[in-house]
Amino acid sequence: MEESALVLDDVHAGHPGTPVLSGVDLDVPPGTLTAVLGGSGCGKTTLLRTVAGFHPVEKGSIHAGGRLVAGGGVAVAPERRRVGLVSQEGALFGHLDVAANVGFGLDRRARRGDRVGEVLELVGLAGYGDRMPAELSGGQQQRVALARALAPAPALVLLDEPFVALDAGLRAEVRGQVRDALTAAGATAVLVTHDQQEALGTADLVAVLRDGRVVQCAPPRTLYDSPADIGVARFVGDAVVLPADATDGAAATLLGPVPVPSGRGPGRLLLRPEQLRLRVPDGDREATAKVADVVFHGPDATVELDLDGTGLLARVPGRSDVRPGDRVVVEVAGEGRFFPAGDDG
Amino acid sequence: MLRDALRRRSGGAAPALLTGAALAGLLMLTPLVYLAVRSFERGPAYVANVLTRPRTGQLFANTVVLTAAATLVCMVAGTVAAWLVVRTDLPGRRVWGVLFALPLAVPSYVAGFGWISGFPGIVGFGGTLLVLSSVSFPYVFLAVSATLSRGDAGMEEAARSLGLGPVRVLLTVTLRRVWPAVLAGALLVALSVISDFGVPSLMRFETFTLGIFTRYRSTFDPTPAAVLGLALVALALVVTVAEARVRGRSTERVGRGAGRRAGPTPLGRWTPAGMLFVLVVVGVSLGVPAYSLTVWTVAGASAGIDGPHLVATALDTFQVAGLGALLTVALALPVGVLAARHRGRVVRALENITYLGFALPGVTVGLALVYLGIRVFPHFYQQLPMLIAGYAVLFLPLAVGIVRTAVSDAPVRLEEASRSLGRGRMQTLARVTVPLAAPGIVAAAALVFVSVARELPATLMLRPTGTETLAMAIWSRTGASQFAAAAPYAVLLVALAAIPTLVLDRVLRRRGGD
Amino acid sequence: MQITERPTSHHWRLLAAGAATALALTACAGSPAGDDAAPQDGATAGEAAALTVYSGRSESRVQDLLAQFEAESGIPLDVRYGDTAELVAQVLEEGEASPADVFFAQDAGALGALSEAGRLIPLDDEVHEGVVDGYVAADGTWTATSARARVIAYDSQELTPEELPQNLDDLLDPRWQGQIGFPPGNSSWNTFVTAVRVDRGDDGARQWLADFDAQNPERFNNNHGVIDGIENGQIQIGLVNHYYIYSKMEELGEENLRTRNHHVGGDPLGLVNVAGAGVMDTADDPARAQELVAFLTSETAQQYFVDTSGEYAVRSGITSTVYDMPDITELEQPDIDLADLRTLEETLEMLQEAGMS
Repeated sequence: MEESALVLDDVHAGHPGTPVLSGVDLDVPPGTLTAVLGGSGCGKTTLLRTVAGFHPVEKGSIHAGGRLVAGGGVAVAPERRRVGLVSQEGALFGHLDVAANVGFGLDRRARRGDRVGEVLELVGLAGYGDRMPAELSGGQQQRVALARALAPAPALVLLDEPFVALDAGLRAEVRGQVRDALTAAGATAVLVTHDQQEALGTADLVAVLRDGRVVQCAPPRTLYDSPADIGVARFVGDAVVLPADATDGAAATLLGPVPVPSGRGPGRLLLRPEQLRLRVPDGDREATAKVADVVFHGPDATVELDLDGTGLLARVPGRSDVRPGDRVVVEVAGEGRFFPAGDDG
Repeated sequence: MLRDALRRRSGGAAPALLTGAALAGLLMLTPLVYLAVRSFERGPAYVANVLTRPRTGQLFANTVVLTAAATLVCMVAGTVAAWLVVRTDLPGRRVWGVLFALPLAVPSYVAGFGWISGFPGIVGFGGTLLVLSSVSFPYVFLAVSATLSRGDAGMEEAARSLGLGPVRVLLTVTLRRVWPAVLAGALLVALSVISDFGVPSLMRFETFTLGIFTRYRSTFDPTPAAVLGLALVALALVVTVAEARVRGRSTERVGRGAGRRAGPTPLGRWTPAGMLFVLVVVGVSLGVPAYSLTVWTVAGASAGIDGPHLVATALDTFQVAGLGALLTVALALPVGVLAARHRGRVVRALENITYLGFALPGVTVGLALVYLGIRVFPHFYQQLPMLIAGYAVLFLPLAVGIVRTAVSDAPVRLEEASRSLGRGRMQTLARVTVPLAAPGIVAAAALVFVSVARELPATLMLRPTGTETLAMAIWSRTGASQFAAAAPYAVLLVALAAIPTLVLDRVLRRRGGD
Repeated sequence: MQITERPTSHHWRLLAAGAATALALTACAGSPAGDDAAPQDGATAGEAAALTVYSGRSESRVQDLLAQFEAESGIPLDVRYGDTAELVAQVLEEGEASPADVFFAQDAGALGALSEAGRLIPLDDEVHEGVVDGYVAADGTWTATSARARVIAYDSQELTPEELPQNLDDLLDPRWQGQIGFPPGNSSWNTFVTAVRVDRGDDGARQWLADFDAQNPERFNNNHGVIDGIENGQIQIGLVNHYYIYSKMEELGEENLRTRNHHVGGDPLGLVNVAGAGVMDTADDPARAQELVAFLTSETAQQYFVDTSGEYAVRSGITSTVYDMPDITELEQPDIDLADLRTLEETLEMLQEAGMS
């Protein structure tokens, strides 16, 4: 197995009197795209700046490309870390053309060689070398910024919310292009974002950062299906949380028994809204929930339900004919996740 | 020692940067060391004796009142002028913009001669105030118009949409935003008024600086003058710290995104008032000196003009001013970068020290360099390098302020991007920060160039033999009351200084367009 | 692919142009200063070594004369012009390392200060041979090179010399109410008031100033203004230096000039001040330095002063070919040591109190 591209071990960092990172552990395998996902103020930016070398580490250590770069009395200067950085606004040098921007981190000989053209091609901007940054669209600027970061073949590329300044429509497209370019370059990248969809949709691994520590690091699917706690569950997607009592392989809930892979005793059950199926009641005998509100999204719609005073959220196909005030029967498809009482997130 | 202290307090700036800044700081300490040594050579009792004389108090009071009044006049005139030129539909505002910057090219003593020959009665406080304000208000005008040009229509539009009328928007939102620029300009006005000698002497208004000259003249003894110089340093320190305090509390623009420049405000029925203001300001600051210069030049032309000598002095002026600007900006760069990027106590102290040279009379700085220069670097005495170093001491603050602003405007993210691409701190400075701050650096160089071109006392003391500047030629002729003979040199000096002034104006007011 | 760091903004181009210009300047800067300096430092250059003159007298007044010295003596001069007082301060700060060989001052006070500081070496007697008694420093360290006198300028169409004030007290006669012109703030006026203080003591001077002010004297911006005031009949008499009348004379022609000078002997009103020269203790070659001072008191130089600037010669028997002026020996200096006129600060304070600054 290859050595990890980035290892953070119990990293503490912050400002005098205000700790921001309090024991971050993270292991980024080479060649992967790992997303660091967190809400505002969770320490994402500090984490990124600590790895890049712009923020000092108080405790713990950082290894990049198998080399100790921070911690234990070591503080390698940013320019010696071989850690590339792509920031929110791209931060292109406005006084240099695209080729000079991309070649900025290369030595004189490499700048004259093919490398610049190579990485520009990688990001799909071959032939743009003599343009000025101001002549490019936002998405193109971000791709140039990526090409610039990739050019010196860094051990690691850090992407700081690189798509946040782009239009929604453009965002997905640029995200795909960046993803492809990273794959083609075989680069290891860490993407910092507050956008769950972006993290889940782009990354190989997602690390959820909360209160200055990584609470879970897993592939997107695992994260979504088997979150470490309710908090993570809520953070990575909409959640339906019900009081439950688990016995062997099933949990008793308001919606009846739901299969669970493990757990015993009182606790809470996590379901995803798309697991709730709604149907018209067969008669008066069945327990029904009242539709409180319907929000139409296009391909699907979210439905707020009231089941004897308990609020539920269901996701249904956009064409479903559900209206506020309707009474519906709620059924559960698939397994739920059970969290024993006291295991709060 | 200083370097260690700087490094500790400045959060790990590049050693080369700290060395450069320390060098600048050391150079700026020259006059202070000299004044302290000279003042206290006869003991503190003597110092107290000089300072407590009633006349000293009177001169101090005169200076404070004059400085306060001139600063206030310049703040108002400079800000109004900037607003009219940048933000309204005043007819001919491009031309007015250039004309408002131009008085910077007129040496205060030339303006003073111009006024006094046309209006002999204009002496005392009023005349001094008028002439000093008229040559100093461009400091405020340029600073404010640079900020206004950078544009932030969003805030003003938001205010309008919240129901504020245009006048209230101007007074609340716009004025708030340009306030730091107004203060930065006002600081330069205050310090240059404090240190001006020519105009108070012509207008017979007894200021502290004039008092220092009188001391030299009457007692031929440098010590009492040095004591007064120390008092002037204290005054300058108060002004500088006060400005920093007030500026520190004011709000800068928050949020990012390129500020949008608002469309011009229509003046409507206020247009005649605007035109009147513009005409009065231009008439006072340029018209009168220009008229007098023209009259003298015509008179002088009939007496014959020494063309080759005129050219030779212009070239000498160009040389010393060019080199002075280069060295001063080179020293201002590390100080400005540190001040913009590493706010710490040491850095702030360093920045404050640089302002002192500007507040001291040229003769005091000149003597300080004579005193230390001849002892430490005897081989450079009355050689070009020492003269140029003297200019740096005198004019560093002009450059530091502009460079600091320019560097602050260059996004830190770009520097970080450069570092993450493997470029060290110095390489980043050279390849990213400096090019981004280039307009500001050019502007700083232009301002220093203009100031060096018209400098006199330090030039007289430190110039290499054979060097004669235009300012010297003017001085030697007006000293003998040969105004007509001096006029061609004055015209040439104004013309020479006008070029960088126009560059300055263009660079500063264009900054918004980037 | 060719990578260029293309400068884009005009600012960037400006900066580059500026830097290039400055570099070019630096390149051509070194030569003249360096060349001039080299021989000056070492005595090796022999004949070529220049005398460094610190001149408080203005270039336009004395450069032709100094050029004449260079031509006649073969000694090149390196003249640094400046304000007399600032040059004194500079020389004092330079101390023993001063490059100055000769100090040429506008005022006696400056030379007195240098002498007092031990910075002037005694001159050989032949240097000031022929200079009128009283115009060489008592300790022989400097000599006057020319003189100027305070006079009462008067309207010769209205007044005869006999009617004019003969001393400070005559000036307070009601006859002159509103008829006197003076240039407040002017340095020669300030020196005159200092002489009044030396003559009468501070209290006496204060009283005199108050009485003078009660005469409602007319204030003028400068000495030229006073002369103009007499010419246009605004005032009858004015307190000025003797040579201000000459430029008016050149302008109007002597026959059209109403103003005349009246010399007052033995009173501060007729104070004689001098310009002079001495040899510095730092002079590399005092003998050659003395040669220059001797030249300045020579008949050639004295003739130059009376002819070009209308100053008095410090030798007897030099007659101006241009101006009508008395011989220096006819002027009666008040009983005042010029070296005592160094309390300008107190004078200014007194003038301010009297509301006459």
